[in-house]
Amino acid sequence: MSLAKRALVPSFARPASWVAIVRADSYQMDLGTLIFNALREFDLRLRDKRVVLKPNFVEPDLDGVINTHPAVIAAARESFLRLGAASVQVAEGPGHERDTEAIVETLRLRDFLGPLPGVFVDLNLDEVRRVPLQTRASRLRELYLPRTVLEADFLVSLPKLKTHHWVGATLSLKNMFGIVPGCCYGWPKNILHWAGITGSILDINSTVRPDFAIVDGIVGMEGNGPIQGTAKASGVLILGEDPVAVDATAARVMGLEPERIDYLAKAGTLLGHLRPDKIRQLGESVRSVRTPFAVLPAFQKLVASS
Amino acid sequence: MLLRENGGRDASPEAVTSGRFSDTSSRHFLLTSQNSDGGWGYHPATPSSVEATAWASLALLSRAADPSPAEACARARAWLLRAQMPDGAWPAFPGQRQGCWATSLAALALHLEGGSPEAVERGRDWLLEAWPADGNLWWRLRLVLARGTVVRQDNSLHGWSWTPGTASWVEPTAHALLFLRSLPQELLSPRAAKRRQLGERMLYDRMCPGGGWNSGNPQVYGVAGIPRIGPTAWALLALLPHSQRAENQMSLGWLEGAYPRIRGAASLALAHRCLRAYGRPVGPLTPDLGDLYLRNCFFASVLTFAWIALAGSGEENRARQAGGDRATS
Repeated sequence: MSLAKRALVPSFARPASWVAIVRADSYQMDLGTLIFNALREFDLRLRDKRVVLKPNFVEPDLDGVINTHPAVIAAARESFLRLGAASVQVAEGPGHERDTEAIVETLRLRDFLGPLPGVFVDLNLDEVRRVPLQTRASRLRELYLPRTVLEADFLVSLPKLKTHHWVGATLSLKNMFGIVPGCCYGWPKNILHWAGITGSILDINSTVRPDFAIVDGIVGMEGNGPIQGTAKASGVLILGEDPVAVDATAARVMGLEPERIDYLAKAGTLLGHLRPDKIRQLGESVRSVRTPFAVLPAFQKLVASS
Repeated sequence: MLLRENGGRDASPEAVTSGRFSDTSSRHFLLTSQNSDGGWGYHPATPSSVEATAWASLALLSRAADPSPAEACARARAWLLRAQMPDGAWPAFPGQRQGCWATSLAALALHLEGGSPEAVERGRDWLLEAWPADGNLWWRLRLVLARGTVVRQDNSLHGWSWTPGTASWVEPTAHALLFLRSLPQELLSPRAAKRRQLGERMLYDRMCPGGGWNSGNPQVYGVAGIPRIGPTAWALLALLPHSQRAENQMSLGWLEGAYPRIRGAASLALAHRCLRAYGRPVGPLTPDLGDLYLRNCFFASVLTFAWIALAGSGEENRARQAGGDRATS
């Protein structure tokens, strides 16, 4: 299971991480084949495992810019099933919108996944269990967390490639805020902000550690993300077993310096690799797909110089 | 069709069945999904939660035309009384260490059912002492130093938070106001009246520039926030005594415009209840819900079924027609 099953290992003692960048120009492509082939590059042992995909759903959005696109979710689900997973659920607890049904209906998630009961879980209303946190980066010491996530054998963070008006960029680590249940903490999950956003990201990801990350960067969001920004076509999917390395790579694709994103810089000490020399690239190079994202003036300092 | 959810755990087969959604579906669902301990979980056959139990109770109590489900309500009342904490608050789930926004809902349900005045007053007292953290000195200093111009709102106006030690937000503030408004005058001290006024002012301050509410950020980085159905409906219901104010009317206009585009049953029920409460024309709810029910069975959400039952009850509408709208503009 994903709950603290692996010891936290300082980056200097970790082997390099592999990250795949796959070109995908549109959501109409055969994403199932693209993702399946990319996943085969990793030594994933999924036979009979319960896989949970955690996309990023924020609010009903007709334009398809805010939320992880359902085509990517469906392609990932199909791929993990082809790799032998016993079940693949999609689970999310939106941070602002209580009516999760309104989001999945607007997204037409059912059209991509088939009937949703049994496949989709609203983490905001799931059963919860009290979990002591593995690190003390924030003022949180424990959280109630949803059973679906805690009982998963293999947890996949499936975010959208977006800027974020509080932390600079929201990727696979920040996406894990969505596992914190609204039924205990409300909408928004304001306790995480008061405990410190950076520290909360670190504490959650050190405790419930995503086994894999797939960033939907086919169309991302730049500017005043994560809700009111502008669509930005980047034409990539970014995948890997080390969510820090995936996020660092995604940030570089966005033209940002991951070392300057506070939570990523700190995550690079214990949760995964940040430095380029510790990340082995599969597929496309960062340089070949780099698509600089506009950021708010407050985050100009994150922009890479070249 | 048996609805299975949460990884194949069975939802109560008696509670959610196939077929068409009808006016009696919500009541049937609620009555058959009550746990043996007297509470309701967010879904059938899941641990009882304070919020779900409060809303299910309120929904069953609201159906004046139905034979009173007295036994179910009595068991729910007993469960809520057991779940109350020594300080008068209610946690989200029994066993948790802190009270939270669910206190307003539990106290409201107990008050409307009657027979538990002491528990209601203890809940009221906890709410009146539950100040959000966004007005404290540290918070104001942080705003000035870090991002004083990022968020446009008056942080001297306090409402209620979701959990202790966090900021004021629209929905818990609306719930607290609805509870306080339900109390008779003799249970409302001058302190309570002042707190209520402050909460109402906070809601008006957090209204989005074009009307309507989101969770509580009307403007960030100079950009107008996007209203959402749920917070707008709750805020308008909480501010019903001021129904003629321009802010209420503008927000109602936004809600009416958004209504045909609503894709979720919970939002649809809340919007419908709100529009009816303000006497705005709105079609029958059941046909609109039919397709969603066939698609997802409302994800077997107790809250959704409860809000649908409340919307169908026309509770506020009846009160308004009977002169209960204490419009003070």
